[in-house]
Amino acid sequence: MDLAQLTRNLEALRARAVGAAAAAPDTAALDALEVGVLGKKGDLTAILRGIGALPAEDRPKVGAIANEVRTAVEAALHEARSGLGGAELAARLATEALDVTTPGRPIRRGSLHPIIETAREIAEVFAQFGFVVYEGPEIEDDRTNFQMLNIPPDHPARDLWDTLYLDVEGLLLRTHTSPGQIRVMHEERPPIRALLPGRCFRYEAVDASHASEFFQVEGLMVDEGTSMADLKGLLDQFAHAMFGAHRPTRFRPGYYPFTEPSVAFDILCVICDGEKCPACSRTGWMTILGAGMVHPVVLRYGGIDPERYQGFAFGMGVERIANLRHQVADLRLYMEDDLRFLGAFR
Amino acid sequence: MRVPLSWLREFVDIELTSEELAERLTLLGMEVKHVERWGADWEQVVIGELLTVERHPRADRLSLTTVTLGDGGEPLSIVCGATNIAPGQRIPVALPGAVLPGNRRIERAEKMGVVSNGMLCSGEELRLTADADGILILPADSPLGVPLADLFGDVVLDVDVKPNRGDALSILGLAREVAAATRRPVRQPEIAVEEGSGPPTEARLAVDVRDPDLCTRFVGRWVSGVTVGPSPDHVQMRLLAAGQRPVSNVVDASNYVMLELGKPIHTFDAAAVHAGADGRATVVVRRATDGERLETLDHVERVLAPDMLLIADPVGVLGLAGVMGGATSEVSQATTDVVIESAVFDPVSIRRTAQRLSLRSEASSRFEKGQEARLARLGADRTAQLVRAWAGGEIAPGRLDTAPSEPGRSRVAFRPARINRLLGTSLGSDEQRELLSRVGIETEAAADVPVVVALQPEVLSVAPEADGAITALVPTWRRDIAIEADVAEEIARVRGYELVPSVTPDTEMPDYRPSPLGVRELVRDTLAGAGLTEVVTTALVSPRHVETFVLRREVPSVGGEPEPGGDPVGVTNPLSRDHSLLRRHLVGSLLDVVGTNLRHGTEDVAVFEIGKGYGRTGDVPREWWRLGFALVGAAEPRAWNRPARRYDLDDAKGILDLLAHRLGLGRPVYEAETAEPLFHPGRTARATITGRLGAIVGELHPDVVETWDLRTSQRVLVAELSLEGLAAGRLAPEHAPVVGRFPAVERDLAIVVPERTPAASVEALLVAHGGALLRDVRLFDIYRGVPLATDEKNLAYRLRFGAPDRTLTEPEIDAAVAAVLGALPAVGGRLRT
Repeated sequence: MDLAQLTRNLEALRARAVGAAAAAPDTAALDALEVGVLGKKGDLTAILRGIGALPAEDRPKVGAIANEVRTAVEAALHEARSGLGGAELAARLATEALDVTTPGRPIRRGSLHPIIETAREIAEVFAQFGFVVYEGPEIEDDRTNFQMLNIPPDHPARDLWDTLYLDVEGLLLRTHTSPGQIRVMHEERPPIRALLPGRCFRYEAVDASHASEFFQVEGLMVDEGTSMADLKGLLDQFAHAMFGAHRPTRFRPGYYPFTEPSVAFDILCVICDGEKCPACSRTGWMTILGAGMVHPVVLRYGGIDPERYQGFAFGMGVERIANLRHQVADLRLYMEDDLRFLGAFR
Repeated sequence: MRVPLSWLREFVDIELTSEELAERLTLLGMEVKHVERWGADWEQVVIGELLTVERHPRADRLSLTTVTLGDGGEPLSIVCGATNIAPGQRIPVALPGAVLPGNRRIERAEKMGVVSNGMLCSGEELRLTADADGILILPADSPLGVPLADLFGDVVLDVDVKPNRGDALSILGLAREVAAATRRPVRQPEIAVEEGSGPPTEARLAVDVRDPDLCTRFVGRWVSGVTVGPSPDHVQMRLLAAGQRPVSNVVDASNYVMLELGKPIHTFDAAAVHAGADGRATVVVRRATDGERLETLDHVERVLAPDMLLIADPVGVLGLAGVMGGATSEVSQATTDVVIESAVFDPVSIRRTAQRLSLRSEASSRFEKGQEARLARLGADRTAQLVRAWAGGEIAPGRLDTAPSEPGRSRVAFRPARINRLLGTSLGSDEQRELLSRVGIETEAAADVPVVVALQPEVLSVAPEADGAITALVPTWRRDIAIEADVAEEIARVRGYELVPSVTPDTEMPDYRPSPLGVRELVRDTLAGAGLTEVVTTALVSPRHVETFVLRREVPSVGGEPEPGGDPVGVTNPLSRDHSLLRRHLVGSLLDVVGTNLRHGTEDVAVFEIGKGYGRTGDVPREWWRLGFALVGAAEPRAWNRPARRYDLDDAKGILDLLAHRLGLGRPVYEAETAEPLFHPGRTARATITGRLGAIVGELHPDVVETWDLRTSQRVLVAELSLEGLAAGRLAPEHAPVVGRFPAVERDLAIVVPERTPAASVEALLVAHGGALLRDVRLFDIYRGVPLATDEKNLAYRLRFGAPDRTLTEPEIDAAVAAVLGALPAVGGRLRT
């Protein structure tokens, strides 16, 4: 065999292999082709076996051509493979298609009670202003629940709190979170910024707007110069946090024995925006909490000198705040624990 | 307090609309709850004149009338049942289409064969007077055809007067507030007593106040020769608008004075007062004797106690002082002479008596807030004046008075600078004085009394020299102003709280303190994430609840919290038996939630609550925090591509394990609990992480499902836990594990043990003997059956070994496994081969 013949054979092999690669029906045929042409026992090797019969000066030429053929066949195989592989993958993906519009596999959804959650949100707002959370007992004594809050026995203001008394002399279920003020003052020295959430009890027939067990959040701030202006500023921030940045607010006189002066804190009706509707008793305003400057008597019972220190306290019903935020009209829903109701909350 | 605007106008000029007035009063501290249109329900009621009144042709008791409305139209024929009518009278006519109070509709109707084109109205039907028998005869000059509401309509403000402002429980008191809000003068009522020429009061009446501590002033007057009957219509109308039922002219006079001046007055039949030794009718004011009895005006027999103050005579009891009169001395049609009692009683005594007898009255609610002494005299005079005007008779000259000298204004010193510091304002002292003058508080520039800061526990005052103190001269009716802070409130409310600036506090912050809610919040978030819904149930439960939900062995508290147990704590005045005891466990409340929801058709219920248990030892109460949860129905709800999987004990324990992990408490150790009657004896465990977690978790006993009426055939899982930090704890930061760069090696062991051997004890053995290289033990299969004996089970564990600093060698692992296997006989186990 001479150089020319070998060269022709190589070129023929290239043409056949490239053609076969282009025409291969699937990647398996390409694999077979690769082995048949480029493998150790393949056609290319077979042709090159004749190289030994050539003169020494011709051998490198044949080697160069053989490399060209190899490269060309590999390129053709690669090209054919990527074409065929894409189509095969596409075909496989097509068979794997799902109806993606079916619902997801359900994971049990839990939820948090709106009252506890609202109390948590209230605490978060005040935490931003340095108020730390304290808690007091639900079983209180008359002295802390009333007397130290400037509500002596037989005071007419006691009518504001219909009380559940316990079968232990002098003990009752706290009617508000306010006794926590006394407990905090006994525990801390000014500056005080305290928040007291918790369950309260009253002798109150249950209806859409009354509950015998309910939750309150009390706030207390005492320092040398803490004034009613501070109270107003803080409550404005609170109202904006809970009811929107542009919700107008107002202070009006209120009455609590443990604050002097006392105020009620109103926000513009969230239902009618001040247009006067049944929800706000046609006043345009809704009261969300009571507050005032801590009565000097309360400071003294707390062991704090009212000549040096002064401060404010506020108290709110968590249900009231939750009602307005979640548009709940009936208080009873919170403790009926119907999952169809509770499940709607986060 | 209901305030008819027309009455208020007698004492102060009002140029505002009723809505504006309501808002001004509210902003002054007299909150107006409602503004009611009095007469709004007299639509289509107009004034007519009777032209003819004839007998109904077919009914003796009915009259056939014709009525003109003065509009030149055809007279209306109207059938009427009243007998007090005559031609020429002007009367209220309800036309067809009218709706009267009580939502009573008037239509054209046939009555015994005659068409009636409306109805003639009685005062009672219009709620204008108390007279239900006759048609309301209007003044002869009433304009015809005019709607009744134009003539007699009014606006009634419903004012919420706070307990410290007893002085404002009156028309006059509220007129003073209106005057302050609008800067108008107050017109005082014209009290003028025209006394007769008969024997003086003190010749007829004597009073013996035996308990002067409870009755600080008693003023008596005597009116003789009265004619008891209905009050004039305009008086009845006014009382009704103010919410007071008219009774008779004499009684109405006392009620009128109570509403007008805020002074409760009692009138009684002088003939019922027995004479003393000197022949004068003698009123005795004294405490009751034990067991004494009195029939009060409401015809209830009351048993009295020794601390109740009575109005009596030498023979018996006439009434309960300041609370309610007695039936025997009630003014009646037969009464000719009337005794007027205008007294000041001890507020605490009146309040206690009214409470003890559950007999709160308009009078007692005013007495218990305190009365100014001056009003005793004014009230007696005013009542005498009105009795004479409405019931005739003659007022006996002079009054009986046990304490004629009346105290003047009290002096309360204040420091203008201190007021500003409290309010956050910068008002000049002249401005403060001007504001006080609007509510009748005069001031003197210098203080001659100490500045009183507080009255309790004992008086705290400072010398007046400093700070330019000013003396406020407080009107006698303002018993609520006694200390400097009270003055601050007057200044603030008169000026208006809208003028208090709003600033964000910028003073020193308190030291950091962790929130006691931290652990609870993590628990809540974890459980909500695990598919449970948080519930809040009442702490007060029924006795049956407390009796049913008892644990023989309580879940111990952790972290030094009070231990559960002790005696139950009860409420002495419960709203109902269902809420009369404080609960000791959460389980019962959670089961109620389960039951309610199952009945509502909610099939899958997974709920939790963080709440307290309550108990006491002797007189010492205690409260302890617990977490409880209950599971019933599907843990994994059925879906289109998956069947439902029901909750079982392993889910409940999984929740425990999850919580323990999330709180960084470690892994709970479970042991069987077979002896709690509430629980399934074979499907209940105690879980413990010493000092950090305690729990009982298991299936509810089928008997309890039955007795608690849960109406489900499904298994109900419940758990109650004590958790470290639940009360007020915070979580310590976790220590990060060293995650080795060297691969761990796993070995699976199939261990055959007797059926009765708890898996937990096998695991404990593996951990105890696994050596320092053992990282983790996990049970991954349990097998029972051939070729094992019937009382055997195969527990398959995967053990992971590793070291932080090297790859373990086979001999090391083999040695560790060999150590474990060597210990197996201790639990009756063997390696399955």
